Amino acid sequence: MTVANPRIVTVRQNILKANDHTAAENRATFTAAGVRAINLASSPGAGKTALLERTLRDLAGQMSMAVAVGDLATENDAARLRQHGAQAEQIVTGTICHLDAAMVQAVLPRFDLAGLEVLFLENVGNLVCPSSYDLGEAARAVLISTTEGEDKPLKYPTMFNTADVVVITKMDLADAVGFDRDLCRENIDRARPGVPVIELSSRSGAGLDAWFAFVRGEPT
Amino acid sequence: MRALYCAGRGAADMHEASIALSLIDVASEVLREHGAARASALTVRVGQWSSVVPEALTAAFPACAAGTGLEGARLSVVTVPGVGECPVHGRVTLDVTRGLRCPECGAPTPTLLAGDELELDELELVEPDLEDV
Repeated sequence: MTVANPRIVTVRQNILKANDHTAAENRATFTAAGVRAINLASSPGAGKTALLERTLRDLAGQMSMAVAVGDLATENDAARLRQHGAQAEQIVTGTICHLDAAMVQAVLPRFDLAGLEVLFLENVGNLVCPSSYDLGEAARAVLISTTEGEDKPLKYPTMFNTADVVVITKMDLADAVGFDRDLCRENIDRARPGVPVIELSSRSGAGLDAWFAFVRGEPT
Repeated sequence: MRALYCAGRGAADMHEASIALSLIDVASEVLREHGAARASALTVRVGQWSSVVPEALTAAFPACAAGTGLEGARLSVVTVPGVGECPVHGRVTLDVTRGLRCPECGAPTPTLLAGDELELDELELVEPDLEDV
């Protein structure tokens, strides 16, 4: 087989345009229903589910909230969250290490969006892949716990660079693990200059007011 | 949703396998638009701040392309450095390890002018009539 003069075409197209398109549809759906969608991302074990449990419990009766939670294999997180009286739907992602806009879109019919104020999109525990995928959220919260090392923002700059707020969790353990607060905040500011930072403990309740203000969409 | 069978190389490559599948979708669409059955080469621009590792994308691509018009195509990845805007030094090329800071003076450069790209740049089409020569 002879191939003569192959034709080169300039494309210049975003590889994730299909995801971005679906994300825009999700965003329009959320806006129309008056729902604030919050994408939560962190490494595994940083305390996303614990923070959501505490949020659902403390704000019960004040706000109408629900959760769509992504996980590779189990339904454990959704079961944990349902104990607090809120609707929680599991998105089992199989081999896929992040939520994408289509997965979120597929789960939306299970929610009564018109009756909701806040929908949390709890991403798969992973600081790499979720950063590339817009879900249509109004805001993206990236969590880092005091137990996982102050240099995470430098190791995973893209995740932190796309955050609207960075939440430092497990502050009750900060002294025990020798957490360097100033260094951590400096590294966050390197990855995302000027991003608001909230320090809290889901266990003790310290710092939760600032988080709740963010959840409500008040200035952080 | 398509299963990521091409992600058999392990967890570290799963992200790039997803990206490779999206890349193949976009490229296949271009093939259709141009009436071409397949491509012999493609060039992708990957920003240093895109969280995609070029080597992992290159490794994941051949398996993901199997059975598509991109099968056997040569993938070239062009890495695009981050570019920020320093209030003092203007456009500066960023050093990923230093974050969004001017490499000259350390001033914050919050906005990426370049470096978060993830795009299909060029596609080398194999014309159907040429294949039969």
